[in-house]
Amino acid sequence: MNSVGAAKFIGARIAQAIPVLIGVSFITFCLLSVLPGDAATSLLGSGATPQAVKILSAQLGLNQPFFQRYWHWLSQAAQGHLGVSLSTGQPVASFIGQRAPVTIELVVLALFIALFFAIPLATLSAYRPHGIADRFSAFVCMVGLSLPSFVTALILILLFAVKWKLFPASGYTSLGGGIAKNLQSMALPSITLAVTLFALWTRVLRNDLFDQQRQQYVLTARAKGRRPWGALTRHALRNSGFGVMTLVGVNVGAAIGNALLVETVFGLPGIGQGLVQAITTRDVPVLEGCLLTCAVAVIGMNLLTDVLYAILDPRIRLGGADG
Amino acid sequence: MPLCVFVLICLACFFGPAIFGLPGPESSNLTHTMEPPFSPGHLLGTDSLGYDELSRILYGGRVSLEVGFGSVLLGLVLGGTIGITAGYRRGVVDVVLMRLLDMLSAFPVLALALTLSVFLGPNIRNEILAITAYTLLAYARLARAETLKVRDQNYVTAAEHAGRTGPAIVLRHFLPNIGPQLISFGLLTLGAAIVVEAGMSFLGAGVPPPAPSWGNLIAAGEGVISTDQWLVILPSAFLVLTVLSANLVGDALRARWGET
Repeated sequence: MNSVGAAKFIGARIAQAIPVLIGVSFITFCLLSVLPGDAATSLLGSGATPQAVKILSAQLGLNQPFFQRYWHWLSQAAQGHLGVSLSTGQPVASFIGQRAPVTIELVVLALFIALFFAIPLATLSAYRPHGIADRFSAFVCMVGLSLPSFVTALILILLFAVKWKLFPASGYTSLGGGIAKNLQSMALPSITLAVTLFALWTRVLRNDLFDQQRQQYVLTARAKGRRPWGALTRHALRNSGFGVMTLVGVNVGAAIGNALLVETVFGLPGIGQGLVQAITTRDVPVLEGCLLTCAVAVIGMNLLTDVLYAILDPRIRLGGADG
Repeated sequence: MPLCVFVLICLACFFGPAIFGLPGPESSNLTHTMEPPFSPGHLLGTDSLGYDELSRILYGGRVSLEVGFGSVLLGLVLGGTIGITAGYRRGVVDVVLMRLLDMLSAFPVLALALTLSVFLGPNIRNEILAITAYTLLAYARLARAETLKVRDQNYVTAAEHAGRTGPAIVLRHFLPNIGPQLISFGLLTLGAAIVVEAGMSFLGAGVPPPAPSWGNLIAAGEGVISTDQWLVILPSAFLVLTVLSANLVGDALRARWGET
C-alpha cells in the first residue's frame, strides 16, 4: 500500500517534469535562434560576403523554417546527438561527457563541505538564540552571502596559493593522476563554491531549528527529561533535516551557476568553463548543449529531492495514496 | 550604519569624481604606471596603463549601481505584474505563468545573463535586460505568495462586492498591502543583481573596456595578483562593501516590515 502511494506520487512528479523539460529545450533553442549574431556570420567574420553567409547558412540548416529546425534539433538531442562544436568540430555530447565529471566532483565536494560546517554552526546558534555564537554566525553568514564567488576565489588564491603556496592557483589533476593530487587541485575551488551555500544553509537551518524548538514534540521530549541540547540534536535536528534536503536540491542550480566563475578562475575543465568559452566564441551548438545539460541537471535534482521526500516522509507517502 | 555606508558609496560613485577633481577614468598617463596606493595625486594608486584607480573604481561603481537599480526596478514592475496576476486570477493563468517561470529558473542565473548579454551586445542597457531575467523571477514568486495571502481577506471581498474590478483592486488594495515586502526584498535583490553584474563583467561580458566596471577591474587585477595585490583587493572591497550594506539594510527593513 505504502509503496503504491509512493509510486503514484513519484509518477505524478515525473509527469509534471516532462512539460518543463520540453519548455526548457524550447527556450534554449529560441534564445539562440532569435538573438542577433547568427552562427554563420560570426563564423565567417564581419567581412564575409552575403553569398558566403547564405551558403554556410544552408549547410548549417539555418534557412529552414523555425519549428522544423527545432523539431530536428530536439529529436537529435533526445537521442544524445547534440551536434558538433563550430570551433573544434568535436561532438558536443563527448565534449559534455568529458567535462561533466569535473563539475560534478566540484559541486558534490562543495555540498559536503558546506553541510559539514553549516549543521554544527546552525545547531550551536539555535541552542542559545541571540547569544554570542548566534550573533557571530549571523555576521559570518551575512558576509558569506555578500561575497561574490570570484572574489572568494581570488582571496583564497591570494592567501593559499600566492602567499603560503599550499595549493595550486589553477589547473586540474584528474582522479587518474592520484587522489591526493586531485583533491589538492579541487580544494580551493570547492571551498570557494561552498562558502555561499554554507552561509545560506546555516541561516535557514538555524531559523528552522529555532521554530522546531517551540513545537509540541520537542516540548514533550523536554518534559520527559531530555536536556535542551539533547532535545535539539536528537529531535529538532532530525526534523529540520527535511528542510535541509530540500535546500540542497534547490541550491544545486545556484551552485552550477557559480561553478561557471569558479571553474574559469581556477582553470578547471568543467561544464561551466566550457559554457563561458562557448559564449565568448559564440559556439552555438556547444552553448545549447551546456545550457541544456545544466537545466536538465537542475530539474533532475529537484525531482530527486521530491522523490526522496516521498520515500522518507510518511505523510507525503500516505497522502499520495489518498490523492 | 549599513545605510550610511550604502548611501555614501552611491554618492561617492555619482558625485565623487567631480568633487575631488579626479582625472577621467579613461585618461591614461603612461609616465605614472603601477603606482602603489597613497602616492601623490593618486590616492589609490594607478594601474598598468596609468589609469587612476580611485577614479576607475568610482566610475565602475556607477555601472554596478545603474545595472543593479535598473534590473531591480524592471524586475519589480514586470515580475510584480506577473505575480499579482497569477495570485489573483488563480486557475489556468496561475498554472501557466508559474510553469513558465519554472522553466526560466531551471537555467543557472549567470549562464542565462551571460548568454543574453553577449548575444545582444554588451552594454549597460542589455546587462539590465539580462539580469532582469533573474530579478523578474524572484519578484514574480514573491508577489504571487503575498497576493495569495491577502486576496481572501475581508476587505478584498468587500471591495469585490462593492463592484470594484480587477485593476482597481490590485491598485487600491493589493499594492498598499504588499508594497513594503516588495521594497525590502528589493534591496536584497539589489545585492544579488550587483553580484551577477560583477560576475558578468569579470568574465568579459559587461561594459566593454576601457570603460571601467568593478568586475572588469577585478579581472584586470587578477592578472597581476602575485605582484600587485591592491589592484584586486581595492575594487573587491568596494564591491563586497556595497553588496553587504545593501543586504544588511534589506534585512533590517524586512525585520521591521514583517516577515516573508
